[in-house]
Amino acid sequence: MIKNIYLKPIFTLFLFILIYACSKDEDPEPAHEEEVITLVTLEVTKVGSSETVKYDFEVEGHDHAHDDDDHDDDDDHDDHDGEHTEIELEANSSYNVSMLIYNDTDPNNIENVTLEIIEEADEHQVFYAITDEVSGFSIASASNDTKDSDGNPLFIKTTWTTTGETSGDVVGYLIHEPTSKTGSTRNDFGGATDFEIEFEVHVEE
Amino acid sequence: MLKNEIFKFFAKLFNLNTKNSKCKSCCNKQKTAVGISVLAASFCYCQECDLEFEGQILDLHDNSPISQATIQVIDSDQKIYSDDEGFFKFKNQCSGKINIKISHLKCEDLFQELNLKKSVFKKFFLEHHIESLNEVIVEDNKIRELSSSAKTYSLSGLQKDIYSGRGLANALEQISGVNILTTGNGISKPMIHGMFGSRVGIIYDGIQIENQQWGQDHAPNIDQNAFDEIRLVKGAGILKYSGDTPGGIVVLENRLPAINDSLYGKSILNGYTNGRGLNFISSWIKSYSNGNYFKAQGTIKRRGDFSSPNYLLSNTGTNENNISFSVGKNKILSQWKTNFSYFSQEIGILRSSHVGNVNDLVFAIESDKPTIINPFDYQVNSPKQINKHHTASIQYSKRNSSNGKLNAKYSWQRNNRREYDVRRGDLKYKPALDLTLNTHDLISSYKWVKSNWSLDSGVFFQIQDNYSNPDTGTRRLIPDYLKTELGSYFTASLVPSNNFRLEFGFRFGHQNNHIKKYYKNKRWKEENYEEELGAYVINEVLSQKLVEQRLIFNNLSINTGVKLSILEKLKLNLNLFHTERAPDIAEMFSDGLHHSLATIEYGNPFLKSESTQKFVIDFEKNVGNFKYNFSPHYVVGQNYIIIEPTGIEYSIRGAFPVWEFRAIRSLIRGFDFDFSLKLNKNFTVTSSSSWIEGFERKSKTPIINMPPFKSTNYIHFSIPKFKSFSMAVSTKITMMQNQFPNHNFETSFVEYGKRVDKIVDISTPPNGYHLLGMEFHWGAYPFFSDKISISLIFDNLLDTSYRNYLNRLRFYADEMGRNVMLQIKIHH
Repeated sequence: MIKNIYLKPIFTLFLFILIYACSKDEDPEPAHEEEVITLVTLEVTKVGSSETVKYDFEVEGHDHAHDDDDHDDDDDHDDHDGEHTEIELEANSSYNVSMLIYNDTDPNNIENVTLEIIEEADEHQVFYAITDEVSGFSIASASNDTKDSDGNPLFIKTTWTTTGETSGDVVGYLIHEPTSKTGSTRNDFGGATDFEIEFEVHVEE
Repeated sequence: MLKNEIFKFFAKLFNLNTKNSKCKSCCNKQKTAVGISVLAASFCYCQECDLEFEGQILDLHDNSPISQATIQVIDSDQKIYSDDEGFFKFKNQCSGKINIKISHLKCEDLFQELNLKKSVFKKFFLEHHIESLNEVIVEDNKIRELSSSAKTYSLSGLQKDIYSGRGLANALEQISGVNILTTGNGISKPMIHGMFGSRVGIIYDGIQIENQQWGQDHAPNIDQNAFDEIRLVKGAGILKYSGDTPGGIVVLENRLPAINDSLYGKSILNGYTNGRGLNFISSWIKSYSNGNYFKAQGTIKRRGDFSSPNYLLSNTGTNENNISFSVGKNKILSQWKTNFSYFSQEIGILRSSHVGNVNDLVFAIESDKPTIINPFDYQVNSPKQINKHHTASIQYSKRNSSNGKLNAKYSWQRNNRREYDVRRGDLKYKPALDLTLNTHDLISSYKWVKSNWSLDSGVFFQIQDNYSNPDTGTRRLIPDYLKTELGSYFTASLVPSNNFRLEFGFRFGHQNNHIKKYYKNKRWKEENYEEELGAYVINEVLSQKLVEQRLIFNNLSINTGVKLSILEKLKLNLNLFHTERAPDIAEMFSDGLHHSLATIEYGNPFLKSESTQKFVIDFEKNVGNFKYNFSPHYVVGQNYIIIEPTGIEYSIRGAFPVWEFRAIRSLIRGFDFDFSLKLNKNFTVTSSSSWIEGFERKSKTPIINMPPFKSTNYIHFSIPKFKSFSMAVSTKITMMQNQFPNHNFETSFVEYGKRVDKIVDISTPPNGYHLLGMEFHWGAYPFFSDKISISLIFDNLLDTSYRNYLNRLRFYADEMGRNVMLQIKIHH
């Protein structure tokens, strides 16, 4: 009696195993990271010239990037695998700078996230924090910049103006759902940081 | 009895009720026999009518013979009585089918059809009448003891009702040694002796709930209001249900409805000021005298944003809809039951807790109040969770004549968890995490109870399939897997005398995990996985490697315990639990970003089974008006799996601390202390306190998230003259946790044009706090044909601002402030 009682369920169980073992043989589909931003490009064009210089800021982690970050090195704050991006500018000039944002996780299907950000201008804000070491250098919204529904510039297209010789760090942020669209430091904007790019500007005579 | 008399009367007169008899032609001529004794010896003169049919009538419960039972062959209307030994004998029976009826004054009539081919001897077991069996039924309806040596804590009906709107974990927190690990104020999970998640088993209706319990922010997807009893054992005390839960086991069960015709139920309406919420619970049971019953229960809950004393906690609302049905038949000897339940919940997570990177986290920590405070709303927006849990089960149990009870149960659980983040574009409407977990359980057990010992053994089988929807636009946090587990358990309990009980048990499980996981090439290289996992790569796509692994774990858990009454009033329970737990899939394979702490979590695919030895002593003393229970516990762990920060990962998003799973040799020790003191006929003081510490044995580094010292005290007041009123004042004291691992790290960012370096303090626990509460209870008063009770409960009466160490979102906001709850309870 007892034997029967134990054996029957066990037998049924093995049927289950069969059924399930078969269905799991399918390989899971690879998940596409749709939301991530993996590449930010600054296109810097001197006013009055047609020559454009591109500066790429990449997230580490895909094959064409370097794969040897040193995680223990807390002093390494650079985005691009320890490489320092330097943007060379001439003194007493103006530059038109466009920020382009991509997701290139899938090299066959590079997504231009910039368009999405422009479309959702109300929920985004670009902010450049210029450190005090850079003097006589300013970043302003360009005339062709995107404005949100309240007329606040998004700062995705900017005009950079230089005066004398100087150099120093600038940090560019893309802020998602900022609590304020204006401010003088990152903290003033609230929201969540979508990316943070850091570079050094070199203004030379 | 009356029926029998009439029967006898008819039988005496005509031998009428013999229409179906095959022997009719020859037997119904026997009109000569009139008296009872003569009738019993009625004869048949047919050729094939020379069979003997004899038997014995026994009491089903104790096998004792039943004398003076009437045995009647309905077809031929022959009737005899059993003798003192329960024996009876019919002679000269014809071959073929006969219908017999056995009746006894104290027992239910037993009808049976027999096909006679030759002379037979048969035993018949009679069931007692329902009325006379009340004791048995009561015994059966009384929820059985969970463990004969480990102390069981249970929530009283009142405690259960007070917390009916606040989730299972909050209800359990009333028990000493139980804390809640929360994510904001809406998500809480029970923590027993500093352990939570997979180390705490939640058993509902005899099956462990499978609802991605590994996550710190995954509250149990269960409505405790669907159950009559909530009990807890601190330790892996119930091997019948689970062997891998060193923290403890929470058991939710229903009583069996009585076998009679009735319709009854209970409805509770709760209203809250904090969160402006309403919550309605109703459960109904219809039972019939033949043992059939039907039960339906539903819960509905709507609540908006909570508020702390100084500001609103935006996006902390909840919607919940739960329903459960069960249908069953409850006979004294056998029961069956099918059950279906559906749990659905939408919980908002504090809006300001979604941060982009570590620098955002620093701003949040530095800010006194949340960075986002919106007007009060019932709407739940991202970040949020939508959880659904379906259960369908069928179970059957049967008791046999030798006091054995067989139980078999199949259950299916389907859990779907969707977590929505604050996202961009069309992804806003897509969950960032979408896991579907299907679990099938099959359990068969046999329990043998004798007066001074009992044995329980069983086999169990589980098959679990996790599907992680790839269409989320993020990488999978948990890979797809298929887990099968086959095992058995055995427990024995001995009661040599009233003062001494012994218990022993073991449970063995063989677990097979079949996992298919994508690893990012970057991580693969950094961790040098190629060496050990390279052989398992089955595909490579989009700079990810698909790895297929089969991991087998064999776990043996053993319990031993004794319960002694040393002195008349001092009881002592000693229990030793050895548990082995296979690492969770999450502990081995999780891979993803947690926005609430801006951390990246990585599993460790090389983890081994965790084993713990837990020793618990309970001193229980009862001196008149003073009762206390002192319970120290000591837990040693090998391969005890913890998660802790191991470094910082920099990406284009900024800096993120990386948390990885690691196995340590751990030690957790502490004590729980409860007492109750009756001061006079009006006042009673009750108190429960617990203290615990946990650290890594080698380095003495404290383990994270160990609850600080906590003491909850009540002064109950009641007037014996007015039974319908009682009140209580409560104080809850929580100290600051001084033992914590230092996981602080430094980060650097630009603030007002200057580069600043700051320590990110994610380790220091918040200050201690004290909360005052009050409760008033009125009732029960007659209300039409029902009974009504009303309670008014004040929580955090002084509107104290505080933060809780065990809240993951403590960096962002204060805990909720004052809450007044009105509860109307109707017993139908």
